[in-house]
Amino acid sequence: MEIKRTIKYEADRVPGFGRDVMSVPGCEALEHCIQCGTCSGVCPLSIYMDYTPRQVMELVRSDFKNEVLQSHTIWLCASCYACTTECPRQIRITDIMYELKQRAIKEEVYPKRFPIPVLAEEFTKMVHDYGRISETWLVTKMYLRTNPMAALGMAGLGMNLMKTGRFSLKQDKIEHREELAKIMEAVDHENGKAKA
Amino acid sequence: MSAKKEELRIGFYVCHCGHNIAAMVDCAVVARYVETLPGVALSRDYKYMCSDPGQELIQQDIREHRLNRVVVASCSPLLHEHTFRGAVEAGGLNPFYFHMVNIREHDSWVHTDRGEATEKAKALARAAIQRVAHHKALEIKKVEIHPDVLVVGGGIAGIHAAMTLANAGKKVYLVEREPSIGGHMAKFDKTFPTLDCAACILTPKMSEVGSHPNITLWTYSEVTKVDGFVGNYTVQVKRKARYVNEDLCTGCQDCISHCVFKEPKFADDFNEGLGKRKPIFIPFPQATPQAVLIDPEVCLNFKRNKNPDGSPVVGDKCKKTCVEACGEKHAIDFTQKDTLQEVKVGSIIVCTGFKTYDAGRSPAYGYGNYKNVYTALEVERLVNASGPTGGEVILREGKNADGSPKTPKSIGIIHCVGSRDKKTNLWCSRVCCMYSMKLAHLLREHTGAEMYNFYIDMRTPGKGYEEFYNKLLEEGTHFIRGRVGEVTDWAMTPEEEGRLVIRVEDTLAGVVRRIPVDMVVLATGLEPQADAGEVRRLFNMSCGGDGWFLERHPKLAPVSTFTDGVFLAGCCQGPKDIPDTVAQAGAAAAEALVLIDKGYIEQEPNTAHILEDECSGCKSCIPLCPYTAILFDEGRKKAYINEALCKGCGTCVGSCPSASIVQNLFDDQEIFSEIEGVLAYD
Repeated sequence: MEIKRTIKYEADRVPGFGRDVMSVPGCEALEHCIQCGTCSGVCPLSIYMDYTPRQVMELVRSDFKNEVLQSHTIWLCASCYACTTECPRQIRITDIMYELKQRAIKEEVYPKRFPIPVLAEEFTKMVHDYGRISETWLVTKMYLRTNPMAALGMAGLGMNLMKTGRFSLKQDKIEHREELAKIMEAVDHENGKAKA
Repeated sequence: MSAKKEELRIGFYVCHCGHNIAAMVDCAVVARYVETLPGVALSRDYKYMCSDPGQELIQQDIREHRLNRVVVASCSPLLHEHTFRGAVEAGGLNPFYFHMVNIREHDSWVHTDRGEATEKAKALARAAIQRVAHHKALEIKKVEIHPDVLVVGGGIAGIHAAMTLANAGKKVYLVEREPSIGGHMAKFDKTFPTLDCAACILTPKMSEVGSHPNITLWTYSEVTKVDGFVGNYTVQVKRKARYVNEDLCTGCQDCISHCVFKEPKFADDFNEGLGKRKPIFIPFPQATPQAVLIDPEVCLNFKRNKNPDGSPVVGDKCKKTCVEACGEKHAIDFTQKDTLQEVKVGSIIVCTGFKTYDAGRSPAYGYGNYKNVYTALEVERLVNASGPTGGEVILREGKNADGSPKTPKSIGIIHCVGSRDKKTNLWCSRVCCMYSMKLAHLLREHTGAEMYNFYIDMRTPGKGYEEFYNKLLEEGTHFIRGRVGEVTDWAMTPEEEGRLVIRVEDTLAGVVRRIPVDMVVLATGLEPQADAGEVRRLFNMSCGGDGWFLERHPKLAPVSTFTDGVFLAGCCQGPKDIPDTVAQAGAAAAEALVLIDKGYIEQEPNTAHILEDECSGCKSCIPLCPYTAILFDEGRKKAYINEALCKGCGTCVGSCPSASIVQNLFDDQEIFSEIEGVLAYD
């Protein structure tokens, strides 16, 4: 039996983290949280989480940045919005989860081979480059980066889908991608300013 | 104009109010500044003007310095205008030669820059100095108080208020909408935390009300119109037809047993629809008055169509076995109609109570969808010995192994249903924690079931309440801190099959749990009555954003309203338990007694009057007056104001096209010079 230190010291906190998250539009209501646990009670995935959504809310508010950004919870969130719908204080919990995911990616503390952040990354990249999503490539890329063996195992299914014309290797694209690039550049520039 | 003739000698006082004003306003500077203004004979700053020495200072100065006007710059007139007017009067001046400036709430408390706050105080003081020069001597009018009292609502609040007044020898009209008094308390089984039987402590009070010589009890009646003002209200009450003469009915209930309906068939409101009643019924055994009534919607002797006046058409289809059974008493009267009665009273106590939150508005808890989900009020009737099951807790759905109606083996009580939720009601309903624990105790006592209580926070601030919580903990009730996510019949394990599953985060253990139970009880919160808005307008009261009737001051005038002579008691003012309700009802009765025993009230002379020579008789003011105080003299073609009815709102003054209406304390000269005073300051 391994015995670990579980106590949290003040030094474990990153003062200002909670306020910083709550200053993001959509995340303000977190300060009204009464820790009732409705979010965890309705969350279909809370049974797999290391911290329940309610615990994540409290950890954010108490500035435990590292614990939150490294937790599985934010990556298990399936964005069903049940917590946001049911919260008696109208806290937009799903949106806060997104905010935490973004921060985890930015700080590169997310689980690198976990499908959800990879999927998010590939998804945005594809929109960025082509203005359109090709599900075939998106799923393929996700599998290759997270679990190549599983991708191999699905080769048979892929072949069958290809035969029936449901699996195309052609990347969907929009026209005038140079205009999209301009838009994206502006967005990235604004984002960079906002985050800086 | 006569004020102008004598030399103006204004005394000005600026109050430090400890640090409240002095910390943000340089009072000495203000005093020195005001001293330089025309007409000011004397200007002082003082630590506490409202103190006895402060008031004596004013009196002494009036005598020694022959002051004929006084201005005090301090707190809000709501707080101390009365005090200073008294001091001015004691000094030998007419109290209306006084004016008050608010430099606390309007200045020191709301500003952060001392220099600017001091400048603002100077400007406000200057305005008051200019205004007070035009003040006139006014007389306070006395209005007599009618000694009778109207109590609206016959729950425990109304019962207690009515009894208190009646025992003091005052005449009370108690009006109740339902066929019996008793209110919600009559439906309860036991009361927390002492667990004494609600009926045992309430019904003696109910029958006392019914037989008290000083109480006129009108049940099945509603107030439809209120006219007048403090001391002199005229109230119209609609007495709904019960088709039984209350005075002749003895409450023997032979009619009920002889009704052509052999079995009770219609949903019984008193039992929250869990039981059945006949078309002729008495709401519950101890109902007061002990008189039956007929529901014309289901009685066979009434047709389904209505007369032009809205009353049901009497038919002749039924054998009228009830009338036969009533025999010589002749209490049943199918031709009865709604009647209107008018009474005169001096004060009114509003105790119209609350309604419980509609649990169907929280679909995640399955009320109305799963039959074995109950509201707390339903469970009150279920555990009650005089309830629809005789106190046996049997479920709406399911059978025991032997085929008998199912009794629950485990029960979950969900707290805060409809409370503490921005989507429904944000307030804490105050009584649910305690009644949920009471029901946990009673249900366990009745069924031996495993009890689970799901709470957000346990709120037990009352005498003996925390001790009751402790008792429940000792009994082995499971308290799970977490607001329930959902109640579902979707089973994930064999033990969950055929049961209701409560999904919740046990926030103290830090895990999400699924707890299968046989019965779910929803601790629904308290809400304002559905027609609270109309009642509020009827009695000219205010209500807060949440819909509860508003007391005049949350701490210092908790049973008064903004309408003189109208008082509040019980849950119509906000959720509260029985001890608080009774205490408040006693307080409201005492407030009414103050009015009655004093016999008169003094009215602020801020009334309006019409300058007869200038009135063109256009009548535009008449329909605007909210107090119907303006009348028209057809002979002289002039409007005139009944000063006893005028409340000084100023609506007519502003609307008069010929500027021929003048309001005391707010005439044009006073107001314009005050405005000039504020604006003239450099």
